[in-house]
Amino acid sequence: MAGSPIDIVVFAPLAPILGVLLLWFIQMVFIESQKFLLSKIRPKHEPLCRFTNFLGILFQSICHALGYTVTKSGISEFYISVNYGKVAPKKQKKGIFEWLANAFLFIGPFFIPAFLLLICLFFLMGSGFEISTPLELVELKYTFAEQIITFGKSIHAFSQYFFGFLFSVDLLHPGHFGFFLLLIFLGMGIRPSYIGEEKRQKVDMMYDLKNIWSLIIHKPLYIFILFLMAYLFFYISFSFYQIWYAALFSIFGWLSIISIAALVIADMILLLIKIADELPNGWRLLPYLTIPVSYILARVLFFFFQSEFSNSISLLIMICSTVIVVILLLKHKTNKFKTKVDMKKLEKIEEDKDESRRLVKQ
Amino acid sequence: MNQEDLLNNEKIEKMLSPHPLSFMRYQALCIFLIVWGVVFGWLIHFSDFRGQLAIPEIILFAWAIVIIVVGVFASLITIRWRIFFLYLGVVLVGVAVIYWQGFDIGTTGLFIPSYTIAVSIIGFLIVELYRRSHKYIISNFRIIFKGGIVTKQERTLRYDKITDINAKQGVLGQIFSFGTIIPISQSGFGLGSDKSFAAGGVQLGEKRAKLLGIFGGGKEVQTPRARSYFELHGVHPYKEVRKLVESMVQSSVITPYQQEQVTVQKEQVDIQKQMRELLKKQTGTKEEETKEKEET
Repeated sequence: MAGSPIDIVVFAPLAPILGVLLLWFIQMVFIESQKFLLSKIRPKHEPLCRFTNFLGILFQSICHALGYTVTKSGISEFYISVNYGKVAPKKQKKGIFEWLANAFLFIGPFFIPAFLLLICLFFLMGSGFEISTPLELVELKYTFAEQIITFGKSIHAFSQYFFGFLFSVDLLHPGHFGFFLLLIFLGMGIRPSYIGEEKRQKVDMMYDLKNIWSLIIHKPLYIFILFLMAYLFFYISFSFYQIWYAALFSIFGWLSIISIAALVIADMILLLIKIADELPNGWRLLPYLTIPVSYILARVLFFFFQSEFSNSISLLIMICSTVIVVILLLKHKTNKFKTKVDMKKLEKIEEDKDESRRLVKQ
Repeated sequence: MNQEDLLNNEKIEKMLSPHPLSFMRYQALCIFLIVWGVVFGWLIHFSDFRGQLAIPEIILFAWAIVIIVVGVFASLITIRWRIFFLYLGVVLVGVAVIYWQGFDIGTTGLFIPSYTIAVSIIGFLIVELYRRSHKYIISNFRIIFKGGIVTKQERTLRYDKITDINAKQGVLGQIFSFGTIIPISQSGFGLGSDKSFAAGGVQLGEKRAKLLGIFGGGKEVQTPRARSYFELHGVHPYKEVRKLVESMVQSSVITPYQQEQVTVQKEQVDIQKQMRELLKKQTGTKEEETKEKEET
């Protein structure tokens, strides 16, 4: 069964684009949750928020500068601080060049940090970067179905290796540990919007989307040119019987997968910080201490009782013990996870205490 | 600061010391050693390269060469050769101990990482001691800079002697809100210079003529710089301190309007003096006239 000409000419090139867009939207949802968590912890963790802002602004400025370099506008001014970044071109070009530079500014920060992580992964993982058309789809070559399945297959293969690597990461291996730190730090910087000291305007996912949408609707011709270029690239791949087109978009897909993983891990850490802030002063450090202590204890245990999955089980022990410690602390040291009866008891104790204090005063 | 050290009517506005992260350029040297110690320990005991690193000389060479190369790079970047000599000292002491004690491969493999980590911990402690030796006192009259671990140093700067204020804040400073403020005095205290020199050699011809020329050029740029004892190094909260110092300097400087007022007042005083003299003259002549009348 061969693909119909309309399918090949019109619909097939759209398949990987739609796949990347889907992953990109998922990435934006996680970015939104990260922004929410950061804004919640900001009053108590000002330096952390400044650091994440700096990372975000740094990537944004680099992307903007990259945009000006690609469009040959040149860079006359490059300034970054924790609150503000400015990149000014040497020559103020108009038209498609200006549009391209802006596209780099708005879309680049979503992918640049992930690209840095992908380079590290290339040296650490070794495999999982293969892109090939599944044998059973040979007949459907260059159709919408074949393109989407090739894209999905490469994403699946990469995800399998990547998450396999993440779940068996050896935190006592300097390279793995460094990568994990980088994953967390870059995960905190994958967001194109700045979280300001004062909430001057609502900077959220809708704000980012609005920027990108205005980029699209103000210059529909440029979008058409971009699509035309994508289609042309597809036809070139088609004429050479290669899968270059699907491979290119698969790389974008990998970047999104890495970004999502980095964002999820960063979100988990931010959530831990937020919860730890609710604990009384003396107990606040305990959840943070549980992480290295439980991991090292588990690794020491597996040093004597060798197991094939020692790294994964140690990670699991670390996560579970941290969660248990946090839940126990929340239950016993705060009013969280308490039934109404317990709350009433607590209220009664408080009232009794107040009563006794009053009596003592009298 | 003791009450005895204060002048009459002097009031302390702020007592400051540098932020714990403000000496990161020194702490970074220790961080590198600690990281290299851990990585090297992992390399010779747990990594896949442990087979190649099974000879004491190779272990020693690999350990030393990385430290020295990093030392050279750090010295070139910061233009401070003392970093290289510091790292060279660490390497030489380590090598001397190994040869003096005649360590075997197992002991060398254990000694080098622990020695590197121990040196970095000592380094951290020295940096912390150095940081804690700094004390800056901002009073309503002056800024007092105190410091020194063994030799005590002190600088007093009156606000009316400050001509310029240089303030700088690095990335870490922006994140943790600390920064360095250099008050430059009229005598130029607080200014340093950056010197650069470039030279090149040319050799023309291999057999016929050998011409060697060296071209050089020097450049010197004045820049605000002072030892950490003589500047407000890494003070926190930066913005607040900067504002306080600037307002203190401002309050001790006469503004153009105030200068105008002073000259007007001086003119008025001169006029009043002239009037008084005239009045004296007038009253003097009148008295003389009355005396003359009385005599006649």
